[in-house]
Amino acid sequence: MAHYDYEEKKLSVSRREFLGLLGVGAAVIWMGAYVTTDLVKNRKKYIRMRAQGLYKDDGQSVIRQSHNNKALMDMYAQFAGKPLSTVPQELFHTKYVDRINLGGVI
Amino acid sequence: MMGLQENEFRGIIQIDKKACKGCDGCKSVCPTGAIEGKYGANHTINQEKCIDCGQCLINCPFGAPIDTIDMVDQVMARLIDKSTTVVATIAPSVRVAIGEEFGMEPGTLATAKLYGALKQVGFKILDTNFTADMTIMEEGTELVEKLRHYFLGEDTVTPVGPLPQLTSCCPGWVHYAELNNPGVLKHMSSAKSPMMMAGALAKTYGAQNIWGVDPQQIYVVGIMPCTAKKFEASRPEFYNAAQYWGKRGRTGNYPDIDTVLTTRDLARLLKKLNIDLQAVAEITDADNPLAQYSGAGTIFGNTGGVMEAALRTAYFVITGQELPILSFEPVRGLNGVKKTDISLHDAQTGKDFILKVAVVNGIKENLTSVIEEVEAGNSPYHFIEIMNCPGGCVNGGGQPTNPMGTAWIDKYKALLPW
Repeated sequence: MAHYDYEEKKLSVSRREFLGLLGVGAAVIWMGAYVTTDLVKNRKKYIRMRAQGLYKDDGQSVIRQSHNNKALMDMYAQFAGKPLSTVPQELFHTKYVDRINLGGVI
Repeated sequence: MMGLQENEFRGIIQIDKKACKGCDGCKSVCPTGAIEGKYGANHTINQEKCIDCGQCLINCPFGAPIDTIDMVDQVMARLIDKSTTVVATIAPSVRVAIGEEFGMEPGTLATAKLYGALKQVGFKILDTNFTADMTIMEEGTELVEKLRHYFLGEDTVTPVGPLPQLTSCCPGWVHYAELNNPGVLKHMSSAKSPMMMAGALAKTYGAQNIWGVDPQQIYVVGIMPCTAKKFEASRPEFYNAAQYWGKRGRTGNYPDIDTVLTTRDLARLLKKLNIDLQAVAEITDADNPLAQYSGAGTIFGNTGGVMEAALRTAYFVITGQELPILSFEPVRGLNGVKKTDISLHDAQTGKDFILKVAVVNGIKENLTSVIEEVEAGNSPYHFIEIMNCPGGCVNGGGQPTNPMGTAWIDKYKALLPW
């Protein structure tokens, strides 16, 4: 019969301590989840901040509609005529390309 | 390579193999599924599918995707050459993001400082916001013509396209539609994007009426929050200013937009020239007619902004009155698809009708259902704004990369219990 001197080390965690450790563990996991949630929420924050910057620019503008832009109307009067007329059709409008049916360019 | 016209840029966005960790973060933001490579292996971009939007670039936690078109030195050389009139056209979203490269908060409105810095290094300014207003005049007039034709049965001078009308400002979206949904191209507004209008305007009206120079000596630099704009500027359609002068007896062949710098590129250019944006003297440029813009022009950079700007003008043209409340909340915010109805009372005929609009905020998540209805011909809407990047141009692929970039989370979001 083999004989072992080894005596198992006693791990004595009382019921009270066990519940305490459980609580600490739960808190760690919970905080991790909280941090991750925050991260997910805030990752779009810079988009909202930049968007607010543009809405602020709009809000503080004296003129807020395109058709009231006087310099633009001057341009139409002196140069382009009316929207969608000949000169704008030449310069400010375009056509699109069906790329599915477009041959390859090497 | 398929699907490209002659001389168009290809492969603007590439993945740096040494930096890529194969985390699949880019795949979770790529609208076209162009990124190939298994999880954990090096990823590559299928250039036949890529629309150069740069979402992978700004979202990658390792900085692996790179923008391979670097024109900073060429632009600097043009600035030194005194025989060239170098014109900067600055997109709306650049002014609220470039500050981040110089230590300002995101969203800091830096228009006056930007004008100051650009003037200091020798640019003339044609604000893209001015041509955004022009886009509204062209695209809005087109929409009003269609509405009058289809709702009120009026004849039009030129044949009009079908409703719904789709916006055409976003080069990522235009390229996407051309590659994947060519059936909807007849719905697309024929109006160019504000940048392309700016190029054509600079070399015609700008050359003749404002600066009094030879259009061939003008070099137009688009300063954009967008990498797809580099592709757009290289399209062979956009030689309209040269064609305009060709018909009027002046020879020469030159593109409308000579080159594009992203917000990041411009920050690099300024830093190379030892300019700190924070320290630059502010300029309002009040006597430059090409730097005058309305609030409607500036909100183009936000999702829903083109729609809001167009509604302000379309409402006025049809009803004869200004919109009572200009801040049009239903199209603002970061929801995926924003829908709303506006009732209009036509001042000429006294008839009433309801205009139904939708805003698609981000192609990847939100386009499919809306565009399928358009293709099937049963779309309930009359006007649809579509932008590729979530949030609009403010979150474009050419903007400063933000350290909040956490694309990898998307991959695991489905596993999270809350």
